[in-house]
Amino acid sequence: MMVGIDVGGTFTDLVVAHPELGLRFVKSPSTPDDPSRGVLDALELLAADLGRPLGEVLADIELFIHGTTVATNILVQRRGAKLGLITTAGFRDLLELREGSRDNRYALRVAAPEPIIARPLRREIGERTGFDGAALLPLDRDDTRRAIEDLRAAGVNGVVVCLLHAHRNPEHERAVRELIEAAGWSPFVSLSHEILNREGEYDRLSTASVNAYVGPGLQTYLNRLFGRLTEQGIRVPVLVMQSHGGVLPVEDAGRLAVGAVTSGPAGGAKAGAMFARALGLPRLVTYDTGGTTTDVCIVNDGVPAERDRTDLADMRITAPAIEVNPLGIGGGSIAWIDPAGILEIGPQSAGAVPGPACFGKGGTRATLTDANLVLGLLPETGFLGGRFQLDLEQARAAVNRDVAEPLGLSIEEAAWAIHVLASSRITEGIRLATVRRGLDPREFAMMSFGGAGGLHANEVARDLQIPSVIIPRFASVLSALGFLAADVRRDRQRTVNAPINSLSAHDLETIFKDLANEAHAAMSSSVAGQGDGETWTDRVAECRYERQIHTLPIPTKAGDTPFDLERRFTETYGELYQHSHPGEPAIVETCRVSVYSPLPKLDLPRYPVEPGADAARALCGKRRIHIGREVQAPVYRFEYLVAGMTIAGPALIDAASTSVLVLEGSLASIDETGSLRISDQPA
Amino acid sequence: MNAASSRLAPNPLTLAVVRNKLKAISEEMVETMTRTCFSPILNQNQDFSAVLLDAEIRTVAQAERVPIHMGAMPLAVRMMADAFRGDLAEGDVLMANDPFWGGSHLPDVTLAMPFFHAGEIAFWVALRAHQGDIGGISAGGYSAAAREIWQEGLRLPPVKLVDGGRLRKDILRLVATNSRKPEDLEGDLLAQLAAVRIGHARLSELFTRYRGEEVAGCVQAMLDGGEAVMRAMLAGCREGRHSGLSHMEFAQAPGGLLPIPVTVTIDNGRAVVDLTECPDQVAAFINSPFANTRAAVMVAFLYFSGDDQGLNDGSARAIEIRTRKGSLLDPVSPAPVGACTSSTACALIEALLQALEGADPARAIGGFARRFRFALAGQDRGGRPFIWHYFFNKGGTGGNAEHDGWANIGGLHNPGGTPSPSVERTEAAYPLLVEEYSLLTDSGGAGTRRGGLGGRLRLRYVGDRPAVLNASGEGVLVPPFASQGGTAGPGHAYSVEHGDGCIDRLGVHDSGVAIEPGATIVCISAGGGGHGDPANRPRDAVRRDVAYGYVSEGAARTVYDWQVEATGKT
Repeated sequence: MMVGIDVGGTFTDLVVAHPELGLRFVKSPSTPDDPSRGVLDALELLAADLGRPLGEVLADIELFIHGTTVATNILVQRRGAKLGLITTAGFRDLLELREGSRDNRYALRVAAPEPIIARPLRREIGERTGFDGAALLPLDRDDTRRAIEDLRAAGVNGVVVCLLHAHRNPEHERAVRELIEAAGWSPFVSLSHEILNREGEYDRLSTASVNAYVGPGLQTYLNRLFGRLTEQGIRVPVLVMQSHGGVLPVEDAGRLAVGAVTSGPAGGAKAGAMFARALGLPRLVTYDTGGTTTDVCIVNDGVPAERDRTDLADMRITAPAIEVNPLGIGGGSIAWIDPAGILEIGPQSAGAVPGPACFGKGGTRATLTDANLVLGLLPETGFLGGRFQLDLEQARAAVNRDVAEPLGLSIEEAAWAIHVLASSRITEGIRLATVRRGLDPREFAMMSFGGAGGLHANEVARDLQIPSVIIPRFASVLSALGFLAADVRRDRQRTVNAPINSLSAHDLETIFKDLANEAHAAMSSSVAGQGDGETWTDRVAECRYERQIHTLPIPTKAGDTPFDLERRFTETYGELYQHSHPGEPAIVETCRVSVYSPLPKLDLPRYPVEPGADAARALCGKRRIHIGREVQAPVYRFEYLVAGMTIAGPALIDAASTSVLVLEGSLASIDETGSLRISDQPA
Repeated sequence: MNAASSRLAPNPLTLAVVRNKLKAISEEMVETMTRTCFSPILNQNQDFSAVLLDAEIRTVAQAERVPIHMGAMPLAVRMMADAFRGDLAEGDVLMANDPFWGGSHLPDVTLAMPFFHAGEIAFWVALRAHQGDIGGISAGGYSAAAREIWQEGLRLPPVKLVDGGRLRKDILRLVATNSRKPEDLEGDLLAQLAAVRIGHARLSELFTRYRGEEVAGCVQAMLDGGEAVMRAMLAGCREGRHSGLSHMEFAQAPGGLLPIPVTVTIDNGRAVVDLTECPDQVAAFINSPFANTRAAVMVAFLYFSGDDQGLNDGSARAIEIRTRKGSLLDPVSPAPVGACTSSTACALIEALLQALEGADPARAIGGFARRFRFALAGQDRGGRPFIWHYFFNKGGTGGNAEHDGWANIGGLHNPGGTPSPSVERTEAAYPLLVEEYSLLTDSGGAGTRRGGLGGRLRLRYVGDRPAVLNASGEGVLVPPFASQGGTAGPGHAYSVEHGDGCIDRLGVHDSGVAIEPGATIVCISAGGGGHGDPANRPRDAVRRDVAYGYVSEGAARTVYDWQVEATGKT
């Protein structure tokens, strides 16, 4: 039995792949004060569902993958460890100097971000390494000991060590750690070169600081969870979802805490990738519309696109992560009339609390969810078997007051305007996400999940000329499902910074082999016995032209010569930018490897096709809806739909936690993965 | 397009969606540019901006990466349209950079493409990008030595880069040949072209979905809305004439300072900006052509209002700008203009913010550190020539009614827009050793809200042979101003410590300064201006300032009237 558990803000979702019963899921309210309780609650529900005691169920679990936003929340809410910094003399303020940049160039009256390491706790020590790794100044051990004692006396529980050029020569950073240990002190320590082994002091410092800031809190949480699960009888390691879509066992995940900070959307992207592989889709764009944001991810050839830098909560996190393009639009996004008198939606959101007006939890402002309810697109009975009743009158009152009256529209017209503007926002966000990668949205299939996505998917796809929309059957727990597609992954990298043609084939091979060995060594300690397959290694050389700043990741494989690498770089560059620069030296800046140890994988269940099956079997009524005009739309239940049925729009399909709108001129059907597919009706 | 008669009062739904689409089109243009441009100045700094303009050449939607580009673009496109009036066809793309044809400074090259609908121009798509080198007496285009515009590079009055869909390779070659980096320039112009063509294609899609008069109605409503936003802001201001005065550092002027006096008269939701009292144009690169002057005025009002969303050319209708031909802020050929987008723009924005402070004190902002950079030329470790540009340590920003200023964000023309390179990259690539890069205690102007701190950077030159330093900038004699009773920040102070112990101060326009191996360049950057009476600074904030070393105990006592508390320190 394999279990994926995703702790969200509102619900803890559990997906289990059971050898006899197939795929099942459980949703249980999250417990933000101690999320491990919600995890146990979900497992209890699973045990009840299986009709067995919890201990037996836990003992039967062969794979346990857990996703948590604990690290994210610590950073965003600034509740992290009390940090101290030990750094090269002259450089204690780098985190506060922020490379001289900021996001918004117009809003001049905003507060500067509070650095996560208070200035009095940033200590400088005598030492200096040069650009080539030579020690220009030896480490002043007395200085260092004094700094350590001061930080200890100040009650620091996380120490960041970031020394200049430590990626070229880590001796001094290591020596500082030894001195900390020799003092008999054991705070959470992050050495910059261990967290990010490459050039760029600001990126190393910021990333290592985030690591130490969220690390102690994440460790405490994971240890508590692991303790509880062990106590109750689990026998396998708890694996933790990382931002890059791989997993790490609890102890490593705590040490490399920064690796989980943007892991929230990783499960959804992994699930998208799983479907893309199962359905043979070379290009897939996924979007997940939640309460506040819509996260857009791109999946190429069954692999989610990655990026190596994320700016979050005023910090730079340089670590591989699944690329998420967040849009400020969700079910809770507030509709308003801007000072120019034009309808706007978001970025302000009513979130889950106070929530949309129709939730009746104190929210009064008109949101996208209110508009969709007014239009009849959402059932008044709400979701989850009526556990969430929606208040239509509150929704109508909010839309009327905030949008209809100021614009001189009827309530339905106003709600439709909000709905269409939201679709337009999602459309343009997806278009930009693909354009940024030099891709044409028309070559993509699209997958929609999350509570608010299904009502807009058909319109968005039409607007982008995307031929096919996929809405998975498990859309409400897709992230937890995606966990079951993960592998254990360790990354290592090293700055090379040399012209490609100055390296020999032997040099290149040695660099990659050494990195892979390091990654293997780091991995074997913890997850032995989990997977049965051979490990494999992805090699990437980050290359650029000499005078450029940005690098391109060039995948390479064992046996590739520098000549192969240079050729592939030139080709890739040419494909992306439509020109190349024959006279310009190509540099390999960084070599990195990802070593994967495979885990047992979920096989997506296949749904048998019943040729000619009549969709009327799944019909559960009609709703009067407004989609620019009034229509009586048939309403189907997603769970009664089987492969082989076809539904012509306009129609609504209600699922456990979402509704799907099928437009006139579109056809909906069920594919072999049980997913809903929407495409344009052949003319 | 003719007229109100063919316009429809837009449906609010259509209006909201069309505005979203137009904004998205301009964003897609800059994304396309980001992805395809070549030269470091563009792909690192994103020194470019895209606009969509209506038939009457008013900015309707913009994706700005550089504030100072925006208000200038409509003038450039108008001049381009006028130059080819009656001679424009489907598929044409125009190009220009000349300051006396609506441009700013010569490196800023604008491409503009008319969009035809029903046989008439319904829109313009334009993208301006700062090109790395466009010729002239010094690489990169900022030359304090230029006395005439011709010395600053290639002048391009409006020309057709694409004629009826056919790229004029002869023109491309001509322009590229006039650059020190012909491949960069050609690559970047082609990237610009790709971007305006994307904008054009997206407009076509928009016009297949909506009727021409529907789009025109939306455009009108957006412009009217932009005007309403600005008028509402002005209506909240004190009526009457408000004046402001800043100075530029110019050795030939009496006292080394050139005054920039401005007045802003606010009356009934309108503003008249009078710049006619400023000095005559000078034979140096600090003249600001009218388009740039207009852009700086718009940036000042935008900063002041704090709202970058509702603003477009409609907002500009509420603001009238008066200049004097032949003056520093509306020069005629052959005035050189290289520093107009940075130095002159900053000085003008400062003067306007001071004038606007009188109009609405609650919105006042203290002054920002000005831009003071230098280039170092020498031989690198491999014996090859290098030119290194100083991009670190930009200085503090001013305080305002709500918050302290930021450290290390720098000039008003583009606050925080260009990230500094890493210390490690700098040391790896150039014979330089950074000995210190830190915040400087007591460098923020005092106030209820303190100015952001300046910094100190010590840069040792470790090459084998002497290098040469050329400085360019502002802000040594003119420190960041204070607002509402605060204290001005200290100005920049750069110096060179020679190996023999002698120290030379560095002037903002010093050139040809010899830097021997082992010499250290010490750059102390300006702190931002303080806002409000320092005596009213919250005690918690003062306590923190002292604990964090932002303010020394001594300064806290004398400036903030702070009584040292028992801190438990020995």
